[in-house]
Amino acid sequence: MWPLVLQGVASGIVTGCVYALIAISLVIVYKSSDVINFAGGEMVMLGGYLGMFALLGLGLPYLFVFPFAALVIFAIGALFDRIVLTRTLRRAVPGQSVLVAMVIGTVGLSYVIKGAVRVVPYTEEVRRLPPISAGQPIFLGPVVLQHQDVAITLAAIVIMAALWAFFGFTIIGKALRATSQNPRAAALVGIPVRLMSMTAWGLAAALAGVAGVLLAPKLLLTPDSGIVVILALAAAIIGGFTSLPGCVAGGILLGVVQNMIGQFVSSRAISLAPFLVIMLVLLVRPQGLFAGRPTTKKV
Amino acid sequence: MKRLLLAAAVSTALFGNALFARAWAADPGITDNEITIGLFAPMSGPLTAFGLDALQAAKMWYEEINRQGGIHGRKIKLVIEDDKCSPNDVVAVVKKLVTVDNVFFVHGGSCTAAAVAAQEFVTREKVPHVMLNASGDSAVIPPTRYVFGAFGGTQRTVGATLAEFAIKELKGKRIALIAHDDDYGVANAATVKAVAKRLGAEVVALESISPRITDLTAPMLNVRAANPDVIISTCYPGPAVLVAQKYAEFGMTRIPFAQAVQGIPVPAGFAKNVGNDAAFANFYYGSPLNDLTDGPKQQKWIAMYKQHYPDRTPSAFMTYGLPSAMAITRALEKAGRNVTRESFVDALETVDFDSEVVAGPIAFAKDRRDAHRASIFIRYDGKSGHTLMPGVYTWDGKEGR
Amino acid sequence: MYGSPPLVRLAPLLLLLIAGFVLPHLLRQYFLFLGNILMMYAVLALGLDILLGWAGQFAFAHIAFFGIGTYATALLHARLGVPFVIAMPLAALLAGLIGLLIGFPATRLRTVYLALATFAFAEGAQWVFNAWDKVTGGADGLRISAPTVFGYATGTDPTAFPVMAAILALMIAATMYLTTSRLGRAMCAVRESEHVAAASGIDVRGTKIWAFAISAVYAGVAGGMYTLFQSFVNPEVFGFSQIVLLLSMVVVGGLGSIPGALIGVALLGLLPEIMRTTMRSLLIWQEFAYGVILILVIMFMPRGIWGMIVALRNRKRTHA
Repeated sequence: MWPLVLQGVASGIVTGCVYALIAISLVIVYKSSDVINFAGGEMVMLGGYLGMFALLGLGLPYLFVFPFAALVIFAIGALFDRIVLTRTLRRAVPGQSVLVAMVIGTVGLSYVIKGAVRVVPYTEEVRRLPPISAGQPIFLGPVVLQHQDVAITLAAIVIMAALWAFFGFTIIGKALRATSQNPRAAALVGIPVRLMSMTAWGLAAALAGVAGVLLAPKLLLTPDSGIVVILALAAAIIGGFTSLPGCVAGGILLGVVQNMIGQFVSSRAISLAPFLVIMLVLLVRPQGLFAGRPTTKKV
Repeated sequence: MKRLLLAAAVSTALFGNALFARAWAADPGITDNEITIGLFAPMSGPLTAFGLDALQAAKMWYEEINRQGGIHGRKIKLVIEDDKCSPNDVVAVVKKLVTVDNVFFVHGGSCTAAAVAAQEFVTREKVPHVMLNASGDSAVIPPTRYVFGAFGGTQRTVGATLAEFAIKELKGKRIALIAHDDDYGVANAATVKAVAKRLGAEVVALESISPRITDLTAPMLNVRAANPDVIISTCYPGPAVLVAQKYAEFGMTRIPFAQAVQGIPVPAGFAKNVGNDAAFANFYYGSPLNDLTDGPKQQKWIAMYKQHYPDRTPSAFMTYGLPSAMAITRALEKAGRNVTRESFVDALETVDFDSEVVAGPIAFAKDRRDAHRASIFIRYDGKSGHTLMPGVYTWDGKEGR
Repeated sequence: MYGSPPLVRLAPLLLLLIAGFVLPHLLRQYFLFLGNILMMYAVLALGLDILLGWAGQFAFAHIAFFGIGTYATALLHARLGVPFVIAMPLAALLAGLIGLLIGFPATRLRTVYLALATFAFAEGAQWVFNAWDKVTGGADGLRISAPTVFGYATGTDPTAFPVMAAILALMIAATMYLTTSRLGRAMCAVRESEHVAAASGIDVRGTKIWAFAISAVYAGVAGGMYTLFQSFVNPEVFGFSQIVLLLSMVVVGGLGSIPGALIGVALLGLLPEIMRTTMRSLLIWQEFAYGVILILVIMFMPRGIWGMIVALRNRKRTHA
């Protein structure tokens, strides 16, 4: 039994890193504009398809596929923020939550991306992006891991470290943090708030695109693959929705818990797990398992 | 005020004909030289691949019949609608076709839940409903007078034939079944269990997974722990690939693996997606057709399709649309010139023919509304080697019902 | 604006009732079917608007209560033979009770977290509808036996139409009374600013919980309406895309207003049918078109369509 449990844990960690990568993208958007990006899943899906296009259509080497997907989706995210969200914010009606409108905006974006992808006949069949390297599986004792799995886990760690350095030590990173904490004060010190907002969205979108290239070999691609955003949301909530390491921890926890439920309860209950987790965490410890005490934003 | 009245008068004149009910005589949809059929399938949305080509195939058959002069001097006229495989849309589409377009009967449905949703309406209005390629389990079993379906076989057929193949040909005694937790999966499981019981085998694992699942680790570990000697899967294309991947990853490839047709529409694509040759050492898949998808017996249909639709390469489900259209034209032929909805239904009940598309005969009866109960199996090596396995497996229509 | 609505405002409801009895004799069944769908969505939208537009609570659990209402009414009628006029209110009450229970923990959460928690609840409810197949029929769905209302048999579009219209009229009237009542005023205050509301002596938490419960009752009523004209229900009906559709309806129409909710329902409810007839060869673009419409609306009409109409009317008045 133990080897099976270990396999479940190992696979859960890998799947968790999958969720974490998408969750990081969601958290960046949330920290910058208080909006849940419901189009996050579709951005991941688009990243996967762009990866296929770059690799199989344009014949780019695999390493170039990442920046290709990242740049395209960066542009989409930044433009969406600049054109749609900024305008919606500006016309915000006092006394009515503008968040609702913005969330509907992201839902609209998700339909736009999904609809546009579905029009292409290539997407009618289930597709799979070839993995980074297709070698023999790696054996860690009784546990079997594919190369792609290792790549995903490494990527999650590397991206997290890079972001930590970015937000902590670069000017742009610090400017982004300042804008998310207090936009007015940031504007007062000369930070171009709108540009920052665009950058945050673009960055988050690019991350989602990169995640798509990493995940497509593992998750298979259809225009409906965006549904994975729900699992990413769960991961982000567990982590506290405000901290990036929390995303990774939350994702890993979710992945492992799902597998354990599948092995010890039933396969049918697997799909319930993320929703149960979301409700429990928000009930018991709404700030997430890894953030500090719940903070209130100043009015 | 005057302007308002004028507007009202104009709109009534313009739209009144469409909007307002009329008393009609006899059966609608039949004129001296035309029969109007309401044809529907998913033409958009996630399940387009299942329905679009089947609909085109049916259209193609009707066009051929028209080209040969029609039926008893009447040409077939089609009103085509998109049901997106969603129950809400099917009900709307069927109601529109029947009460606004006044069709003689409706022909369509590639998804079961959608077909069931319309059942009460067509039964109440006494309008015959012939499904396209939907399995339609709960709409045809138990049978009701006006709904005809399962031209590719019900999910009960899929389960029963898979189990029988696994036990008789693959010599399985301990069966592991991976099915979905939806209406298809439930029907699959029922007949698998019944057939296993009859043939003295045991279902040692039954993994019921969501069609949206992304990580198959736990279910496949459970399968491995149960120590089966044959594995069958009735999953849809996405999860089926993941199942096959884990089947190989977890070193189970010595155990024969049989996949139901719904998960492997394009074997070459399936193999590419799985991306692991080891998975195909012992791999089989089922099909309701009478040959491989591009086998010699299917060529004439593919050629016909290319003639009618030169711009589109047909998907594997294309020929599935033919048997229903064939049954319809045969029944219309049999019913004669003075056909009514009731006589059409009576005629449908007597059809029994070889469609030259699917493995078994297409047949109905007074108490039978699922047309097709057979399946063939094919061994696949993951590259281009498809080997037709001997035998046509049939569900008797009663087991595990 | 506050205090009981003047009776003259109830006049349009009379028109609705008359239409409910006259139209079934005039229109073809397909259009009556569309009408029934719209009326059911109207009740759903009104309920969601109370929670979202009036009380300002960003909660997504509405669909779960809709499902509870539908299944409860259908099962009470089919399994226990309870007549519709008792079954539906019971089901609505059940939905309201669960809404109340959800309200307690939910009101501790703010904006995004509230949205996510209630969304998770809705998805969880759909999972239960799917998995509890002994009761709900699971993925196979449940056949609904045609209910009778005071001896009048429904179950078809023409027969259900007047009853649906009557229920809708009732719910609109209820909404009118609610929004001009003390509780309605409290909801508005809470929406504007919880701090100020609390400072004015309003029981903020209680108001929010009531908003949850009441909107759940609306959803439960809509669930009962479903059983009047539909013959089949399966869990697919209560999924994510329905939540999105409802949300879009109230936002596009205009939050916090009865005409807004109704306009949103009419537009977005008919949109698929309009697209079906106008986009014949372009059907595959439907999702894309829907997304573009959503984005355009929030960009150019932040108050929704009704809000824009009101703004135009006000501008005419001041500039006349």
